[in-house]
Amino acid sequence: MIMETRYQRHIQLSEIGPNGQEKIKKAKVLVIGAGGLGCPALQYLTAAGVGTLGIMDPDHISISNLQRQIIFNENDLGKNKVLRAKKYLKTLNPDVKVLTFPFALTHENAEQYISVFDIIIDGTDNFYTRYLISDSCILLNKVMVYGALYKFEGQVSVFNYNKGPSYRCLFPYPPHVGEIPNCSEVGVLGVVPGIIGVYQATEAIKVILGLGEVLSGKLLCVNLLSHQNTLLDFEKNQKEIDQIKKQGKAIPIENQDCFVDFELSLFQLSSEEKIKWIDVREDYELPRISHLNPLSSSVSLDLLLSSKQKIIAFCQTGTRSRAFVKKMKNKGVGNCFSLIEGAAELNEWVKKNMNYNGTKI
Amino acid sequence: MRLRYFGQLQEATGKKEEVLTDSFESLGNLRDFLLKRYPKLNHVHFKMAQNNKIDIDSSPLKGNLIDLLPPFSGG
Repeated sequence: MIMETRYQRHIQLSEIGPNGQEKIKKAKVLVIGAGGLGCPALQYLTAAGVGTLGIMDPDHISISNLQRQIIFNENDLGKNKVLRAKKYLKTLNPDVKVLTFPFALTHENAEQYISVFDIIIDGTDNFYTRYLISDSCILLNKVMVYGALYKFEGQVSVFNYNKGPSYRCLFPYPPHVGEIPNCSEVGVLGVVPGIIGVYQATEAIKVILGLGEVLSGKLLCVNLLSHQNTLLDFEKNQKEIDQIKKQGKAIPIENQDCFVDFELSLFQLSSEEKIKWIDVREDYELPRISHLNPLSSSVSLDLLLSSKQKIIAFCQTGTRSRAFVKKMKNKGVGNCFSLIEGAAELNEWVKKNMNYNGTKI
Repeated sequence: MRLRYFGQLQEATGKKEEVLTDSFESLGNLRDFLLKRYPKLNHVHFKMAQNNKIDIDSSPLKGNLIDLLPPFSGG
């Protein structure tokens, strides 16, 4: 009865009714990126009663996010986006099961996370992740709801719906590095992602319900200054889709603009992988993790620049290692990550996972 | 024909839209013309649509409304 009251305005619609609401309840939607697009999409999907919502984002909340990422507030500054989003959404609708993935989508983990959902909402701000989502959705036969923006404009479309076209049918080749500025370089009117994110939630709900005309094979271009909204048709390019299927895996693109993936979690690691560890803590901080033979934060830059192995920095909570990795990235160290977990969790992981001899330099 | 520029193409051309009286055999010919006229377009990757349908460069130009669209990155 409570459920019926909460969703009364849905159930009253002959196009939805109790059966439609049940479909919404059974749906599993993954929102990748809890930013400008992800926040409003998550709000409406939660309010609508989507049964299972996944949220993936490696980022923490900063003051400049609050202009458009409306589920966060000043008390959340510095906190993990995904965990704060869950807290907010649970107060909005406790019936929704919220799964949190506080790390980036990678070529290694994409299949594992995307495969368990029906619909993937692309709320990313970079081409690297967007092409990864697109390719993974082709391979796993998942619907991708695309949204992207520029200043006062936005684009919306739905890919892989009923064997419809995909993102690569629209833009087969990614832009070169620096060609298309990303949102941290360009301003954006805060309401633009609000509107585009709500469009994405709308399309997801239409897909769940099989309602109306889904934006499959259509690109909606929204301009909030002129209110000149344009709906463009585009065709499926089977060659592009077959190329991904033939490869059997997502094809990484070179452009890593705005690619803020510099954190990773222990469950993204395999114990066989050769890793160069850096302990950025002081000598007296416990536990020491001598099994890994970590380097200290005073390690020479040249050594890191020339490293062919993945470099992972850790500290007590993930905060200092994050700052260290940001600094190293700015100095040009590429394959360098900050461990999301702290030394205590890492110590447990080492005990559980290995006969580990650390890494030889 | 009327041309409409989207996103950062407005900055590359300095225009939101314009009307051209020249005629072109294909969309690709129009693209070449525009790349010469607005050299900054050479640095941006864009698709073209005629009469509200995204089309390939080898298609004959028959539309009177041409939209030029770059991919957007922001989110």
